[in-house]
Amino acid sequence: MLVEFELIQKAQQGDAAAFSQVVTAYRRRILGTISRLIGRPEDVEDVAQEVFMRLYFSVGQLRTAEVFEPWLYRLTVNACYDYLRKSKRRLESRMADLSDQQVMMADAVAGSKAQLDETERLRVRDTVNGMLSAVSEEDRILLTMKEVEGLSLKELEAVYGVNENALKVRLFRARQRVLKKLKGVTETPPRSAKTYTGE
Amino acid sequence: MIWNTAGNDNEDSAALDPVASASLDRLFHAYREACPDPDAGANFMPQLWSKIEARENSSNLFGRMAKALVTAAVAASLILGVLLSTVAQSASNYNGTYYNGTYVEALMADHASGLEPLNLDRISELEQQ
Repeated sequence: MLVEFELIQKAQQGDAAAFSQVVTAYRRRILGTISRLIGRPEDVEDVAQEVFMRLYFSVGQLRTAEVFEPWLYRLTVNACYDYLRKSKRRLESRMADLSDQQVMMADAVAGSKAQLDETERLRVRDTVNGMLSAVSEEDRILLTMKEVEGLSLKELEAVYGVNENALKVRLFRARQRVLKKLKGVTETPPRSAKTYTGE
Repeated sequence: MIWNTAGNDNEDSAALDPVASASLDRLFHAYREACPDPDAGANFMPQLWSKIEARENSSNLFGRMAKALVTAAVAASLILGVLLSTVAQSASNYNGTYYNGTYVEALMADHASGLEPLNLDRISELEQQ
């Protein structure tokens, strides 16, 4: 926990300063998670404000300190789902529409251990966002929470409210669908002479 | 490896290619590095509080509307009650009789038992007249 539970209890009693401190403690982490979940930097703050607004109006329901962070992640995931479903500006590109350059970048990034410069970072973001936009919102969010945010299966259990085995199956299928998209593109002959080796 | 515990439907029957899977892991890792946690803008907190206040105001407005509706409903009930009692009182005054008893008692009080049965002899008498 980034804050003491006493601070959350003060926020529950309507202490605006305490709530502001909670927001300040968590906002950077939440902004980062949202930016990776939705892939639209210009809308990250709006979604984060929606998350904290939901937190403000529901913080009174919280009873124990242990569930605070999973609960905040759940609010974040739900807000991102809502955004992705409602937004007409969702990336419509599919892996089949990615340029040769992006596909080659995916290859290069996969094998690269070197420090990425800003241009490469941008390309990685575009590549992964394009790849994740080719699968459902559910797959995108679940994979991002597990593989990018680094949440453990136990943490995901608390966020999603399902058991570990069900999560493993969902993750496996999501990963399989992403790999299928990636493989489908790299095996298309006219797109690039370079084959996807993952090296 | 958690990925080996998948179900056995058609889609899952093929195991993940370990090389491609490892590449995907590296790609996700690179994505994590390429997307550091951004800093919030200077207006983040003021905007958040203004949104919270706007929603509170709208819920307060809804609450006030609900209270007004409840008050109006109570007032309408009282008015209707007074009207009904007035109408009942005036109807009672018009008939001059107000029954406290049951329906059967009311029928008895109406002297229904005093009515005579149809008498054919009398009808013949009427015809003769």
